[in-house]
Amino acid sequence: MLLQVEDLHTHLASGDRVVRAVEGVSFAIDRGETYCLVGESGSGKSVTALSVIQLLPPGVARHPGGRVRLRCRQGGPGEGMVDLLTLPEADRRRLRGSCMGMIFQEPMTSLNPVFPVGEQIREVLRVHRPDLDAAEAWERTLAALAQVGIPQPAQRAREYPHRLSGGQRQRVMIAMAMVCEPDLLIADEPSTALDVTVQAQILQLMRDLQARNGMAMLFISHDFGVVAQMGHRLGVMRQGRLVEEGPVARVLARPEHPYTRQLIDALPENLVRHRPAAPPRTSGAEEAPLLQLQGLQVHYPVRKGLMRRVVDQVRAVDGVDLEIPRGRIMALVGESGCGKTTLGRAILRLVAPTGGEILFDGHAIGRLPASALRPFRRRMQIIFQDPASSLNPRLTVAAALTEPMAVHGIGADREARLARAAQVLAQVQLPEETLWRYPHEFSGGQRQRIGIARALVLDPEFIVCDEVTSALDVSVQAEVLGILLELTRARGLTLLFITHDIGVVEYLGDVMAVMQDGKVVEQGPVQAVCRTPRHPYTVQLLEAVPRIGGGPLVRA
Amino acid sequence: MTEPASSGRIPTPPSARRGYAAQVAREVLARWGARVGLAWIGLLVLVGVFAPFLASSHPLLLVQEGRLSSPALAHLGAADLALLAGFAAAVVVAFARQPWSRRLAVVLAALLLGGGGGALFLSPPDLVIHAQYREAEARGAYDWVLRAPVPYSPKDYLRDRGDTGLQPPLADPAHPHWLGTDENGADVLSRMIHATRIALGIGFVATGIALAIGVVVGGLMGYFSGVVDMIGMRIVEIFEAIPTLFLLLTFVAFFGRNLYMMMVIIGLTSWSGYARYVRAEFLKLRQQDYVQAAVACGLPLRSILFRHMLPNGVAPILVAASFGVASAILAEATLSFLGLGLVDDPSWGQMLNQAVQSSTFNWWMALFPGGAIFLTVFAYNLVGESLRDALDPYLDRKA
Repeated sequence: MLLQVEDLHTHLASGDRVVRAVEGVSFAIDRGETYCLVGESGSGKSVTALSVIQLLPPGVARHPGGRVRLRCRQGGPGEGMVDLLTLPEADRRRLRGSCMGMIFQEPMTSLNPVFPVGEQIREVLRVHRPDLDAAEAWERTLAALAQVGIPQPAQRAREYPHRLSGGQRQRVMIAMAMVCEPDLLIADEPSTALDVTVQAQILQLMRDLQARNGMAMLFISHDFGVVAQMGHRLGVMRQGRLVEEGPVARVLARPEHPYTRQLIDALPENLVRHRPAAPPRTSGAEEAPLLQLQGLQVHYPVRKGLMRRVVDQVRAVDGVDLEIPRGRIMALVGESGCGKTTLGRAILRLVAPTGGEILFDGHAIGRLPASALRPFRRRMQIIFQDPASSLNPRLTVAAALTEPMAVHGIGADREARLARAAQVLAQVQLPEETLWRYPHEFSGGQRQRIGIARALVLDPEFIVCDEVTSALDVSVQAEVLGILLELTRARGLTLLFITHDIGVVEYLGDVMAVMQDGKVVEQGPVQAVCRTPRHPYTVQLLEAVPRIGGGPLVRA
Repeated sequence: MTEPASSGRIPTPPSARRGYAAQVAREVLARWGARVGLAWIGLLVLVGVFAPFLASSHPLLLVQEGRLSSPALAHLGAADLALLAGFAAAVVVAFARQPWSRRLAVVLAALLLGGGGGALFLSPPDLVIHAQYREAEARGAYDWVLRAPVPYSPKDYLRDRGDTGLQPPLADPAHPHWLGTDENGADVLSRMIHATRIALGIGFVATGIALAIGVVVGGLMGYFSGVVDMIGMRIVEIFEAIPTLFLLLTFVAFFGRNLYMMMVIIGLTSWSGYARYVRAEFLKLRQQDYVQAAVACGLPLRSILFRHMLPNGVAPILVAASFGVASAILAEATLSFLGLGLVDDPSWGQMLNQAVQSSTFNWWMALFPGGAIFLTVFAYNLVGESLRDALDPYLDRKA
């Protein structure tokens, strides 16, 4: 065994409270093996990883029990297994980087912005391999960058992190972790912040490197699809404990613990079976679409020079034609930076369109002045991605829900509006006391439901849902999606559901559109697009999605 | 709407819910600096409001020929009544469970009503003879007299004594002056008590004016950005280039010495800092989802700016304001020290001036008013500092 974690306990002190983040976790990883830790946020999987590499802040974290034993090939303080928990800090520092490397979730912040990337890799070598001279170290650095698939490593190595894309930065992080050929690589959600196509490349890269070097990997993830591709063995964590462990294929196919079953059932692709059908069309004739976009453009000018002349345009949304039928859910997919969020906000006139027209229920609203737009504001609403920032922290839920009603003249007086707000909260399955609380008192899923309630109090016909479940855990996501779908069907709402998750699209969408570089490249019914994609980008996107079964995309 | 119009039951809020303001107040009060600072400011407020009863040549109560009368009450002016009314309203409102805006409105209304009512109905005697009660008492005309703790009015120059002039503290055991007398023979303690009103008033009013302008201008700049922001920032820069002190000197030369003029000028020239703070906060807040949601709900601009954005960006403004109050007090003291302050009304700076004007250095004229200015500015800085720490999530206090 390369790494043996035995009955690990980690307690984190926060103020005068002690959080038992990890309680008695045991597992072992062999050379060449990938061990995946899966769990929802707060389950202790990241703390476990940080306990292994001993990167938790020393004043905050304590280990009341357990051993973390590592067998080190080289650079270790003696032969055999060493217990990382009792090792002096100086020895631990020698092990980090040489014997074990770590990759973090956020490639945007895990590289130092003031050093060229090559310099950051070379520094690792300088510390752990003093036998190499400067030229050799630089050669190794370039080799490491070439190994992770960075084109033209000699030039790229001299560039600063901001010049690289997210995927390339994550490659640099991997190169940095791998440059001393560690025995153990700890990867804490290494692909979560990346787009699916980039994620597929990074996962492939990590698998290749592992096959070549024979290192062990501790892979932390919340995504069962990724785990199915990466892992040999899998541990499911919940509230600091390991509830189930076993080979990946067995756990995913026949989960033994009810919690594992619950998590797997909550995946959008598994929810599809229980999906209520779209209501049939009321009339045989083709009804006019509720929302129609004609060549919609949002360009941002790029100004340069002394006179601030416009030298170029950033084409966030570049001529989009889209029709959303009344009472249907349009899923809009695309990778980050493709303009899908800008498109959603432009439809609501939260950003000003620079060209094209928006037809809402037959009315052109693209250029209406603010006062003329107000009646339409009531009919179209938005729900945001980040539950932490989508509610005003200084207003009670009651204030946030009743103020829009008062402005639009809904409800006779404050009491009537409060009664109505309570009803809407009941529809999103929140109790009436919610009204008197402040947003910080709620969990992410509850806040997202309050966000839905805020959109619903005005009784709109059309709602833009901007990645509403991206920040939520799977089981919470399943709840929120269920509520949303039910309400949509009950009220006959029309949704524009912006997402990057194909599984959610299949569960929720009636029709879908695929966006790339500000343009819609393909649109049509979800089934047709997912089964027989025509545009090459759609094909690429669908192939990159990690899935449990690994099979083709079919909805039963 | 598909659901029935009403469920029949109206949701009511539970009684004990603590808001954000209460939380911040608790955080601030947990710091000793804030406690000391607020205690000193509170003491000044009390002293300022009740000045006519603390230091007055007029007896509070007296019995003459079997009739009870109160000369101190009879000499109350409109400003005194306004302050008393405002203070009473503030005490009442502090225990009421109402929104902050409404509480503030009640206090302001009480101030205005008190001032207006006082101007209309109160008729303090035009000719004030401070010595009359002392002389009458000496004659034994009163059966019973209750005097103020400091039995001298600020403008009581003790003409009946004859030997008026500078006198160190407690020089004359027959007529004790705790902090001595100034060059006109007036009691220093009494003048200092009455001067707290000017010190506090100029701080609050000037900062209030600056805040009102700064928040509106900065808010508009931050919210609209673009052209509005560009023009606004140029105006801010113009105002920042005006030296307040020299403008004040010029205005005093042109329009004479007027307390209200000073307040307005200090306020009009110091708003630019607040505008910058508010602008920066609003530029940041504009991108927040809840502001976007408010726009998407079609809420009016007033509500978006002042209900959804301002409360979330108010922290740095409050901190800056507490330092601003201190600097306004200093500005007034500076002017008075230069001899350009108010002519006859007592002010700390003007008393400092007397310490160096006469041929000898009069330590009591320097120490007591100077100490009061120092302590007050220090107190505001302490409060400002505690407020900043309490509101700053990054300077988390280690428990």
